[in-house]
Amino acid sequence: MFHGRPPKRALRIYFATDIHGSDRCFRKFLAAAEHYEADALVLGGDIAGKGLVPVRSRNGTLTAKVRGEAVAVPHADEERLRAEINQLGFYSVVGDDGEMDRLEGDKAAIDAVFEGAIVEQIQGWCKLAEERLKPAVRCIITPGNDDPKAIDAVLKAAPRIESPEGELCEVGPVLLASCGDVTPTPWNTEREYPEEELERRLDKILAPAPAGARLVVNFHNPPYGSGLDFAAELDDRLLPVIRGGRPSIIPVGSKAVREVVKRHRPVVGLHGHIHESKGAQKIGSTMCLNPGSDYAADVLRGVIVDFADDGSYLDFLFTAG
Amino acid sequence: MAGKATSGQGLFTRQSSGLVRELGVPAATGIALASVAVVNTFINFYSGLFNFTKVDMVLPLLLAAGIWLVAMFAYRYLLRAIPRAGGEYIYMSRIISPAVGTMIGIATAVGFSYTLSANANFAANYVPFALNSLGAAFNSSALMSAATSISGTTTCVTVTCSPGLVICAVGMLVIVGLASVFSLRRIAQVILALVIFQVVAFVVLGFLLATHSHQDFVNALGSYSGKSTAYNDVIALAQKNGIPLGVDIGASLLVVPFMVLNYNGVLYSYYVGGELKRPGSTYIWASIISLGLLIVVWVGVWLLMRNTIGLDFMQAQAQVGGTSDYSGITNLQANAGGLGYGLVLSGDPISKILIGLAVPAAEIAVDLAFVAVVTRVIFALAFDRMLPIGLAKISERNASPVNAIILAVIVAIGFTIAGSILNIANISANLALFFALVLLCGSLAAIALPFRRPELIYKPGTTDVDRIAGIPTAAIWGGASTVLALFTVGVIIAKPNVFGAFSIASIGSLIVIFFSGPIIYVIARRMRLSSSSIDIRLAMRELPPE
Repeated sequence: MFHGRPPKRALRIYFATDIHGSDRCFRKFLAAAEHYEADALVLGGDIAGKGLVPVRSRNGTLTAKVRGEAVAVPHADEERLRAEINQLGFYSVVGDDGEMDRLEGDKAAIDAVFEGAIVEQIQGWCKLAEERLKPAVRCIITPGNDDPKAIDAVLKAAPRIESPEGELCEVGPVLLASCGDVTPTPWNTEREYPEEELERRLDKILAPAPAGARLVVNFHNPPYGSGLDFAAELDDRLLPVIRGGRPSIIPVGSKAVREVVKRHRPVVGLHGHIHESKGAQKIGSTMCLNPGSDYAADVLRGVIVDFADDGSYLDFLFTAG
Repeated sequence: MAGKATSGQGLFTRQSSGLVRELGVPAATGIALASVAVVNTFINFYSGLFNFTKVDMVLPLLLAAGIWLVAMFAYRYLLRAIPRAGGEYIYMSRIISPAVGTMIGIATAVGFSYTLSANANFAANYVPFALNSLGAAFNSSALMSAATSISGTTTCVTVTCSPGLVICAVGMLVIVGLASVFSLRRIAQVILALVIFQVVAFVVLGFLLATHSHQDFVNALGSYSGKSTAYNDVIALAQKNGIPLGVDIGASLLVVPFMVLNYNGVLYSYYVGGELKRPGSTYIWASIISLGLLIVVWVGVWLLMRNTIGLDFMQAQAQVGGTSDYSGITNLQANAGGLGYGLVLSGDPISKILIGLAVPAAEIAVDLAFVAVVTRVIFALAFDRMLPIGLAKISERNASPVNAIILAVIVAIGFTIAGSILNIANISANLALFFALVLLCGSLAAIALPFRRPELIYKPGTTDVDRIAGIPTAAIWGGASTVLALFTVGVIIAKPNVFGAFSIASIGSLIVIFFSGPIIYVIARRMRLSSSSIDIRLAMRELPPE
């Protein structure tokens, strides 16, 4: 049983997703290339953070609430404080009491600050990738539904990052098709489309693929009913629906994604979006994978996927690091 | 922007999707306290007094808590660096080596499955006590005769066994297995309720002890035994048998490892580290609350017992409780310890019910907590492909590892049935040593962490770890914990008559349990390499952020 010869791999992809602004997870993502001997890194969307911590400046002291705890540091420690806040996946905005009070009452201003902070972080990450990645390693980052469209241009402009959102992209022996669009969610995020429209958009991305090409789809939304898309059902107030004394768990994936996967039969589907639904499931001949996400605990969940030189799928291994 | 921004207390948030970790401090505390079994201390008090003479429990209880406090800080570094389910397996495999990690992983999976069985047997043995208590509460002779019939014995293959009690133990394991399929948060709620039940029983017992004088107990024991001089007769019997009574500091120090084992489990929320919200702080709070509560409750009740029952009597009863002369004086079950004293003092049916059901409730809670613990270890092993990947399958509905639960319960039932028809006492004799070795492994991992994987605990924005006098803080806590764990291991080895005799069978089983891990690792790796392009060692590589 030990004398078999392992199939030879031509390409190893390391895929992670949904890191939501976690600086530590992004740094781990870059480190994955060396540690997992990956030829290409793929980050499949939802990279922007969700929280903005107001840091109040008073008499040379900065105060903020970090994870519910009041923190006060001298002005000289501003960089360190902001770095620590960022470690938690949050952004920070510094101002005096007047500025903070004004901000609290102005949702549009908060949106603008958020967008600025997200763009600044992504620019920093692109630079970090440039510094840390070996030349041979490809780094592909595509947005997800929780990412503002403003980051698309930042990713496209970064010299060390490829962001083939809505396109086909050759990665070794396979063609990678990427799309961060999803079906409607309770949160009304920016890249949401009805099933019919999403199906049309996905078909359009895949249409130029030559017949017989080995496809890998990097669709943020998992296929409906695939086991990669189970999440708690939410009511209008975004609270879990309880049925029979237990939270109701329902499939929340996309029927369009499922149909497109069945029709185009890619060798592998890389998905995210539903953090708690990590898993692997075959749809027809396609191995669909969702590594899940545990960014809040600084844990980077990912999956290593190997391909042979003809682009066929060899094996996968979930990782948590 | 994605969604609309909203402002909250001290934080502006964007509406966006996703959440995973669901266990907070109350749930983690429930798991920690249940892993200990609060009321078991009465049995352990008895065992301490039975195995050692001239012992007072206050010092051992405090010193043992100190050992766990040190270990708690060592484990905090491990959980912060690697906030995932699996305990020592995860820490050792990521910090030391995959083979060493698999060694401790397989050992804990087997050892904890055996513990499931041992707890079920323990609960089953207390069913007669519970039925007698309920019989006394409801004045029901049917319940009392059920207690007698259920403990009836017969010859099973090579040993004398009690089929009724075996059925109780297996039934309990089946119930625990079925209950464990629900989400961990729901299980933690049940565990917390059972822990609260135990604490209520404890409080009632404390109330009984506090509201009765020493003379009340002397009189109550006389009345319970049908012999007014029963109390003094027990002490006189011990003196006649040459048993020394009183307190000796040296003897009390020897009981420390006993009390270390008494607290075993108080830190076990790290085993479900992958499901804790804010793992570092949740773990610390759950452990501190659990340790604090246990110190207050256990030391408090011991002091009350010493005051109301009398140390001389407790020491004498523990030493002569198994003799026929003792049976001639009283029918108070000596090994029930404080629960027995409570039964003697209680005049109302509610107290009798609480005291009677406290141990079975505690053991159900322990087994629920241990199923959560052992299945997370099995899950972690399967996730890394050391065991079949099917064991890492998570139920979509409850997010629980159903196959791992089924395996753990089947193995535990196997141990229970095997224990009833075969003499496996020799094989499991060194269970105390096994638990101490697990603690030692965790402590060693904490020492190694800042040297082998410093990048996992770098301070934000720096490339160095916390240090005191130039020594990494994690290594200091790990070192202190190692020294204390070694002390515990040393005393356990030096006192085989108390902590388990060494035999070829017992040492052999320890060797098999510990060394099967590396063998499984080598086989699993070679098998995978022969058919796959991915080495499973990659699954055990912890990614550094820098």
